[in-house]
Parts: sequence; structure tokens; C-alpha cells
Amino acid sequence: MRSRPSTLPITLGELARVRPLAGAELHLADPARTVEQVVLAETFDRLRHCLPHELVVLHDEAATGGWSLAAALHLAWERNLSAVVVSRTVAGASSAALAERLAMSLIVIDDDPIEVALQLAGQVSAPAAARAQRQARIAEQLAEQTGIRGVLGVLNRELQGVPVALVVGEVVVAGQAAALAERPQVRQIEVEVHAAGERSAARMVAAVPVPGPAAIDQVASLLRLARPSLQAAWARSRLDAAARAAHEQAAFELLRRLETDEAPSWAAELGWQVGLHNRAIWLAPERPEGEPSDEVTYLIRASWQRGHSIWPLIAEGDGWISWHSAADPDDVTALRRVLTGFRDSAVAHRLVLGVGRAHEGVGGLMRSAAEARLAAHVAREAGAGSVQWFDQVGAAAALAWLPTTEIAQVADLTLAELMAAKDRAPLVQTVLAVLDAGGSLSQASQQLGVHRNTVLARLARARQLGLTYDEPGQRLALHVLCYALTTLWNRSAQPDRSRSGSEPSRP
Amino acid sequence: MSGGAGYLGAMASISAEDVPALYEGAKFYSPAVGDAGRSSVTSWLAGLLERNGPVPLMRVESVAPDTQCIAVCVLGSGSAMADLPPAGDEFVLAVRQIERLQKVTFGAVYPLAAATISALVPVVTAAQLGVPLIDADGMGRTFALIHHTAMHLAGVSPTPLAAVGPTGESVLVEVLSGPRADRMLRANVDTVGGWAALAAYPINAGTLRRAALPGTMSRITNVGRVLLETTDPEALVTRLGAITGCRRIARGRIAELEHLSRQNDVTIPAHPSSLVVEETGGLGRQLRIELRSEIVAVFADGALIAGAPDLMCLLDVSRGALATLDSLEPGDLVDVLVTPADAVWYSPEGMEMVGLSSHGIPLEHPRRR
Repeated sequence: MRSRPSTLPITLGELARVRPLAGAELHLADPARTVEQVVLAETFDRLRHCLPHELVVLHDEAATGGWSLAAALHLAWERNLSAVVVSRTVAGASSAALAERLAMSLIVIDDDPIEVALQLAGQVSAPAAARAQRQARIAEQLAEQTGIRGVLGVLNRELQGVPVALVVGEVVVAGQAAALAERPQVRQIEVEVHAAGERSAARMVAAVPVPGPAAIDQVASLLRLARPSLQAAWARSRLDAAARAAHEQAAFELLRRLETDEAPSWAAELGWQVGLHNRAIWLAPERPEGEPSDEVTYLIRASWQRGHSIWPLIAEGDGWISWHSAADPDDVTALRRVLTGFRDSAVAHRLVLGVGRAHEGVGGLMRSAAEARLAAHVAREAGAGSVQWFDQVGAAAALAWLPTTEIAQVADLTLAELMAAKDRAPLVQTVLAVLDAGGSLSQASQQLGVHRNTVLARLARARQLGLTYDEPGQRLALHVLCYALTTLWNRSAQPDRSRSGSEPSRP
Repeated sequence: MSGGAGYLGAMASISAEDVPALYEGAKFYSPAVGDAGRSSVTSWLAGLLERNGPVPLMRVESVAPDTQCIAVCVLGSGSAMADLPPAGDEFVLAVRQIERLQKVTFGAVYPLAAATISALVPVVTAAQLGVPLIDADGMGRTFALIHHTAMHLAGVSPTPLAAVGPTGESVLVEVLSGPRADRMLRANVDTVGGWAALAAYPINAGTLRRAALPGTMSRITNVGRVLLETTDPEALVTRLGAITGCRRIARGRIAELEHLSRQNDVTIPAHPSSLVVEETGGLGRQLRIELRSEIVAVFADGALIAGAPDLMCLLDVSRGALATLDSLEPGDLVDVLVTPADAVWYSPEGMEMVGLSSHGIPLEHPRRR
């Protein structure tokens, strides 16, 4: 596998993973301890002459149980030995407790101590052979895995202390996210995982502590060993996912065209619930860029369905639709939990979410979906990760559809004087507040937090600059203009509002 | 002996009121033994002392050097003695057999071991024979075999010796070497009823003066008084320390009782087992207490901190009383007390006979390191 096998002394952690210690009861104080030699100790005298970093197998007089194991552990601690191996007949729970207290590794075996000592001696003298044996064992385990999580599970279990993660872009798809954390004395190893057609689909990342129980090249070779299984699992799950996505998309289209309000039987086959009160959720990119690709759909599905896989996710237009069906239309606890859990993913993928109201039956689902889509448009105001409930939007949702940029361009042309003024922002804001308040100066001054006379003065100046808001024929147009300008300016004043994640106020 | 409580120093006589203290003190020096047979022997002795008057307790120096003395003790198991109580004449009969064989009259009795029930029977024998009891013994505690005595170390032979069982049958042993005598006796103890009254080490007081351990009967009575006087563990440990030199090496809670059927040294008949105590204060060490028929070693975190011939016992903190080894339960809070044995036991010969190696523990004794 490698041109030059490592001749580093083998560690306890490595020894513990191959026979004869693989099935033993392990109480390892430090799996990274190296083992330089194996000693079969028959007497206490032999134990007294052991050297540091030796592993001692107790036998005969030195292994009579009770006091003798306690005394042997103490001696091993005094002599700074790597570990004590002893037969199960003499080791009790208190021995393990003492070993832990002395930070001495204790290994309890069922086999004959002499045979174990001989095998261990062979492994310690030829660490490369023991490592090869271990890799062979892991390769077998990897070959048995059919899923991505299974493969990552084997790696994380075998490489104790070395977190491994499968990463697509910057998102952890499986394994331990700790692998991505940059820490001192940790080296990250990456292995590319290719999808069909030699395209790099993902990376396996392992964070190897240096110095640590596992050498860098061993970890790298293990990751390479895992790659074929991972690629197979990856390809299969993508095939499955693509087939399922197409199926669901078609089924949803059928559902949409359904004449009756009753849930068809094939909906249940897909695991869908539509018979009760349905509340739809629209997931949409913050900035729409046409129909999303299959890869993105796959990733969104993975994080949306994490932990609650029965919720559907259907690509629809420039976003995705999902829904939750419940007997009680007002019960939103499950939904809130899901939304909270999805927030990080939503920020990472720059998504916004809209939530519709609960309606009964298939028709209700379609209505809720439309509401959710509307709410998602409103949510874009507040940036990625934000959630907008349709209940809180109401008719004001219409404003979200306004092409504010274009309207602002109209203002540049028709109200040139105003737009040239330096104080145009407070003027427009004041006029908008007065119009919002139905002409009430006192309400407007209260909302703006300025004196009524200031409001009056600004209105006068606005009128001079062409903002003749009190002419009935122009009022609607100017109201819309003021709204568009304020929204645009607010947005440019707060360029990065995605992190706030809060629900938007009424526009 | 004069009345009153507290420490009395060396005593002049033993009367009926001293019997409870004598019994408690005898238990301290052999903590393994349970309370079976307590009432029968103590009430027997108390009745004898009330009828015959107190037994004079004499220092060995104050007895004429040519006075012939004989050691008595109980051989065999205490529980057998509880099942088959003494008829009453066993000890006198055993002494009389040696008298007949040697054609002497014994002028004084001394305990072979001033501990357990064997500390009481010499008082019984002295009261029955009407002779004084000598304030000295051969062990200063108990050891397993009859030649584990200071007299044996001083070159005194245990034989001729006589053992009389509760059935009235007797065994007379004459051998040249002490260790042989024990083997021959053990073979017979079961046959004569599970226990036997032993009379051995017939010597004159002059030899006894240099061979025995002095003052041990007074010592156990004083220890017994302390034990009966208070149940406050702190006061107990301090006062016992003043009399016996004992100290507390740890206080802890019993975590585990381990009964092991492992190989054992054949010279001492006992079932090895092990007791794990988690120290509650101090360093929180894990103590491992090795048991045979008594506590033979104490390890703290695997390091040997006390071992035979030290006398180790457990004080039940909640009761303020000694814990016998058959009454221990996981969860008990105990003080581990260590009392040094008499100096003769730390000599190379003594260590070889009753030290750690005789219990199959090939480690250096902490007092000799």
C-alpha cells in the first residue's frame, strides 16, 4: 500500500484494534502511548526490573489476583510502563478503578497470557505487520457498509481521537463537524471523493492531532481505503435521491390538478400526509437565479429532512415546497422546532422561508403553498435565514412584489429636484409617515420621534421640491414612490442583514 | 484487682468484673474472630472467679526462677467450641497429663497467646488449679500455628504437649521440632471434637523471663476497658494509640468484598480473600485489604503500607466498635488501624515465620524498607 511502511513504535490504541487484544476488555489511560517491548512477568522481581514504555503481561505468581494485581499496577506506575495485561480471572471492577486512578492502562484478556504475550511481542517487533493487519480488518468493515453515514461511522470509530467528516463545499454532509475546526497541533488531511465522470463531488476531511495516536500517513491511507465504498454509496444515494425527487415532483403536479379535496391513496405511498390541516413552507433562495440544480436540491433535502424524514421536499419553480399536516390547525410546535433546527442551513445556503396558514385537504394545501410563497417573498426583505409567517403578512404582502428599483428610477426622472436635495431621505420618510398615518401630523411626528413643527416644516419643503402629496390625483402614486424609495434606501443602508435572521417588520 | 475504670497499668489480679474488659481486649488482638461462644465462656469464667476469688496476676520477674510454668490455649475453631462447649475440666486435665509425664507440679500458668478466647482460658485454668497467672505470653497477639511463639524463637520446645478434646479424649505429642508438633496436632483436632484444650511449653519461670513477651495480659485488659468506655471513634483511636501504639492509616467505605479461590501457601490454613475500601478523606486512595484468617496486608493504591506481623484491624465508625471480619458489608465506613507487633516479630527469624512471605506475598515489609 505504501512504498515505505512506517517503523514508528506501535501504540496501545493500534494494538488494541487487532487480535489478540481486539476482543479484550480495555481500560486505556492513553491510547497514544507507544509500546516498545513486551514482557511476560512471572514474578514481582521481574516486574521490578521492567523499563519504561514496556507492556507487561502478568502470569503465574504475579497474577494471583487481589493484592497482586493492585501491587503490580502500582509497580507498573512506578516504572512508567505502557500497560498491564492480565487474565480476567484475577481482574475485578476495583482493579479497573485503581488502574484509572493511577492512569495506568489495564487490559483484561480471556486467552492464555503466554500466548497473548507471544503474539503481542511479534506485533511490537514488526509494527508494520500489525498495521497492515488492522487495515485489512478495516477494509473488510468498510466493504460491508452501503451508506455514507455507515462508512463515516466506521472511520470515526476506528480512528479514535481523529474526527472525520464528508464535506460538500463547506457543508458537513456526514461524520463529525469537529474535523473542520482549525485548532493548534492538528493537521487536516483531505481526500477527494469523485462522482461519476471524474468530477470532484465531495471531500473527506480528517483532523489528525500531532503528535497523536495515529500517524498522518496511516490516516491518509485509511481515508483512501474508504473512498471506493464512499463513492459507491454516494452514487447510489444520488441515484435514489434523483429518482425520488422526480417521483415527488410528478406526484405534486398531479395533486395540484386534482378535482376532489380528498387525499388520493398514492400520496400515502410516498409517505405524504395531506388529509388533515396542511401548513406549507416555501424555501426559496434569497436571490432567485432560476431553477436550482440537482446538487443543491440534494443538499437542501439532506439538511431539511435531517431527523424528520417524512416531511416532503419538492423542487417547485425557483424554490422548494414542503408541508406539515396536523389534526390541530393551531399546533405549530413541531414546525417551530424544525425551523429552528434549519436556521443554520438556511443561512449557509442563503435561503429564506415562508410559512402559509393551515388549511384542510388537498385544496387547502395548494392555498397554503401559495401563501407560503408570498410570505417567502416578504422574507427576502430581511435576508438569508429569515422566516416569514403569512399570518403576519396579510394584504401588505402585495408590497413585496413591487419592483422598487424600477420605481426609484421613475423618481429620478419625475422628481429630479427632490432627488438632488441632500436632505431627501428625511423628507421622503416624513411624507411616507404622514401618508401612512392618514394625514395625521401628530401620529406621524410620534412615529418619527420628531416635533410636530419639524414635520410641518419638512412637509412644506417637500411640497416645494415637487412632492405634492396632498393633491388627491397624485396621492397613490407618490405614496408608492415614497415607499419604494424608503425601502431601497433602507436596504442599501443595511447591506448585510442576513445575519440578523429576524422576522421582518411590516413593510 | 482493684476496681475503677480507665487505664490501670500493670495489674495484680483478675477478678470477675474484669472479664468483659478482658474479653473485649482479647478481641482487639485477634479481630478476625466472631462473637460465637462469647457468653458461655465469659459467664463460666466470671462464675469461677466469683466462687474461687480473683486470680493473682504476677509479673514474670516476680516469680521464683525455678517455678515450673505451663502455657494453655484453645486449639481449633471458635465456632466448633460454640457448638460443643467445654465440659470444664479439659484444661486442667491437659495440664495434669504433662505433670504426670514430667513428674512436676506447675506453680503458674501463662497464656500461649493473649488474644481471643485463648486469653480467657488461662485465667480459667489458673482459677481451677489455684495457681497464679503470669502476665506474659508467647505471641502478643495471635498467629496461626503453635510454634509461632517468642519461646520457639528463643529455642524452647513446645513439647511435650497435651491436647484434650471436649469428648474427654486426649493426644500427647512429643517431637523434636516445633513445626512437626503443629502438623501432628492439626491432624487430631477434628477427631477430638473440632477444638481442644492445649497445654504446652512447660518451662521454668527463669527461662520464661527471657523467652516470653511481658505485660500482655494487663495490656489486653486495659485495651478492653478503653473499648468498653467510649464509642467515639476519635477518642478510641487516640486512647488505643496510647496503650498499644496503634494508629489510623485510613478511613474509608467498603466498596467490594472479593472471595477468591486462588492458590494459597500451604503452611497456613486459610481462605484468601480481599477487601476494597475507598478512602473517604485525604488522598481518596483505593485500599486493598488482604484477608486470610486475619488481615495480613494493606495496600494503598497498590503500594504496601502495612503487613503482617503488624496487627491490622477495622473499626466500625458508625458503631465505634471493632468490626469482625465476618460482619463486613459493602458500604460500611471503617477506620483501618495498624498496631505494631512485638519487636521480636520483626527480626529476620520472626519475619520468616509470620511475615508477609508466609502468606504468599513476596514484597518487602514497609517497616524494613
